[in-house]
Amino acid sequence: MDVIFTVKTGQLLGAGLAMGLGAIGAALGEGMTGGYANVSISRRTEMSSPFTRNMLVAQAVAETSAIFALMVAVLLLFSDMSGRGVCAGAAAIGAGIAMGLGAFGSGIGAGYSGGEAILGVSRQPESASQMTTTMLVGQAVCQTPAIFSLVIAFMLMFKDYSGVNAWPYSGCLIGAGIAMGFGAIGSGWGGGQAGGSACRGYARQPKLRGPIVTLMLVGQAVSQTPAIFALLVSIMLMTIGPTEGNLLVTMAFLGAGCSIGLGAVGSGMGNGVTAEAACDALSKESSLSKSIMTFMLVGQAIGQTPVIFAMVVSLLLMFGNYDQAANLPYAMALVSAGLCIGLGAIGSGYGNGITSAEACDALAVRPEKSPAVMTFMLVGQAVGQTPVIFALMVSFMLMLGNYDQAATLPAAMAILAAGIAMGFGAIGPGIGNGITAGGACTAFAMHPEHSSLYMRTMLIAQAVAQSTAIYALVIAFVLMFVV
Amino acid sequence: MEDIGVMPHWVFDCMGVHVVLNKETLIMTWIVMAMWILFALLASRNTRLLPNPFQGTAELLVGTWDQLIEDSLGEREMGRKYFSFICTIFLMFWISNMLGLIPFLSEPTKDINTTLSLGVIGFVVAHYSGIKAKGIGTYLKGYAEPIFFMAPLNIIGEFSKVISISFRLFGNIMGGSIIILVVSYLVYSLVLPPFLYAFFGIFVGTIQAFVFTMLTLVYIVVQIK
Amino acid sequence: MDIGGADLIRAASFIGAGLAMGLGAIGPGIGEGFVGGKACEAIGRNPDEAGLLTRTMLVAQAVSESTGIYALVVALLLIFVV
Repeated sequence: MDVIFTVKTGQLLGAGLAMGLGAIGAALGEGMTGGYANVSISRRTEMSSPFTRNMLVAQAVAETSAIFALMVAVLLLFSDMSGRGVCAGAAAIGAGIAMGLGAFGSGIGAGYSGGEAILGVSRQPESASQMTTTMLVGQAVCQTPAIFSLVIAFMLMFKDYSGVNAWPYSGCLIGAGIAMGFGAIGSGWGGGQAGGSACRGYARQPKLRGPIVTLMLVGQAVSQTPAIFALLVSIMLMTIGPTEGNLLVTMAFLGAGCSIGLGAVGSGMGNGVTAEAACDALSKESSLSKSIMTFMLVGQAIGQTPVIFAMVVSLLLMFGNYDQAANLPYAMALVSAGLCIGLGAIGSGYGNGITSAEACDALAVRPEKSPAVMTFMLVGQAVGQTPVIFALMVSFMLMLGNYDQAATLPAAMAILAAGIAMGFGAIGPGIGNGITAGGACTAFAMHPEHSSLYMRTMLIAQAVAQSTAIYALVIAFVLMFVV
Repeated sequence: MEDIGVMPHWVFDCMGVHVVLNKETLIMTWIVMAMWILFALLASRNTRLLPNPFQGTAELLVGTWDQLIEDSLGEREMGRKYFSFICTIFLMFWISNMLGLIPFLSEPTKDINTTLSLGVIGFVVAHYSGIKAKGIGTYLKGYAEPIFFMAPLNIIGEFSKVISISFRLFGNIMGGSIIILVVSYLVYSLVLPPFLYAFFGIFVGTIQAFVFTMLTLVYIVVQIK
Repeated sequence: MDIGGADLIRAASFIGAGLAMGLGAIGPGIGEGFVGGKACEAIGRNPDEAGLLTRTMLVAQAVSESTGIYALVVALLLIFVV
């Protein structure tokens, strides 16, 4: 195929992806801000003009990520990348995915922060200017993932690929886009949750602005770890991605991108929910700032286990040895391994976040029982990681399996389907287990004297909620070994 | 690392039947049994009011499970009937799940046959108790809920309980051992493996043994009530 | 590699099975977890009725699991029958 034609197709596809996906988040976020502004105006009609002004400021910030996406889309549409080699087409698609998906979380997050800030002003009109500052700080931090995406999109667009073969490097470039695009969603969204609750907390306790903002910033910084992992893998895919190799290499690097990108979504969101609950708890119980910070950090660290699993698989896929001849089932197994752990990490990452959020609430109610609350949180989170452990197991089995015989299309698709089944199948049970463990923490806060009863109920309920993940595991095994 | 999931076998023909036995699983199960028999001997030899450590541990285990089973079934008499079965499942799986901590030994629960057979035993016990407690008519009527043509799906639902209970334990232990193997290989067995063994062996192992046992008990309770 | 029509059908049915079980597990997983969480809260409010609440929880979870079992059945049918 003609190089100019290929590259131009890629550019157009990338522009569409960037703007189409990039508009979703900001639009949702701005809608949220507008909705909250209307609620505030209905509460205090006399203040409608400052509310409208605040709303416009907040919406303008929330729009930033969509403006990044527009910029990338326009650059892709009108610049001529055909002189940069055949890989530029894939790079354009990668840039579109990175920026389009990357704008999603930050847009929603910034909009949510803005909405909460306006609601806060309606509660504490005298603190309007301080509230706007708090809001802008929170929004600025939750835009960081979108900025990472912009950086990756630019790196992809402006690099010179002349003299590089189309494959396998194109796979690396698309993988880099997927990694950064998906990787930014969770952290952006989560950062916004933290920012919103900081505004809410400030409205509740104006004296506590300093500690609340500190807690918010720490929480947001930790929530950004998944996006930073994704940024790292994305850059690695671009820099160490091999320019020589067969289908196996292409699929391995594509799988590495899917793994960390999807895997970062759940942990980023979960960490954000945790930080949100921590800020709320602090505004309710100001004397507890130290133990709330500890709870938040421990909860977030455990909530990052799934993304660390995804990172490990990503690295294994990138540094694997692919000297053998290309074989379709093995190639599918590599991408399937990435999809499996990436999707599988979403549920447990988010679920663990919900658990530690409820634990922070419980801590605010029963500060004297903090070790017991911590035990509930840790046990609940550990059991809630069963789905992602299943996904990791399937992922390892897919990578290390033996694919010498039967290179047929059905065999290859069975391998791909195994990863998809286990990956998607782990999402629901992971989230559900988190909700159950959260409920147990809440129950403990009501009547701490029956703790063994709650623990038992929680374990049984979690085990039952895992059964669908187990059916997915069985189907994955059947697809891998029986078919 | 190519030997992941490979089981050493004993293969022989017995009276015209081709028999394949999972060597490692069998030996490890015997080791678990031997450990508990030894423990029981030490605990029950010259029992007295001020117990020795073994007797104390045994009393603690038995007392805890007696209470748990009584709480779930609602009456002491009923609880005593199922006590030995339920408690045995827990003790067996508890030590089985932790066996990987000892060098050269591996968890028998890593083999799906172990967990599946205990799952099937629990299934049979639960349904037998259900038929005995409610009578065969009421028992069969339970499958026609909410409407009669849901019966096939209700039956599949019952069988899928066996699958979920046995694969849960198997998946956790197998997943843990594969993860330990791969991570040990990646970090050249430095620093991380002991913590992973502690997490998967002691923590996950205990919780999953408890969950398996409690679910078997719960399935019995659901059938009886 | 020769790809015939039968191969395509087999391949599509495997992908279908993976998607059916994977996506089908999302809803029941969240739903059952929600039931479990609410049951814990209910027991926290009224610990004396723990037995009743646990039984209700299990029945509710079994019902919400039925869609997961349908997904399992459909996936097995796609793998072995089609």
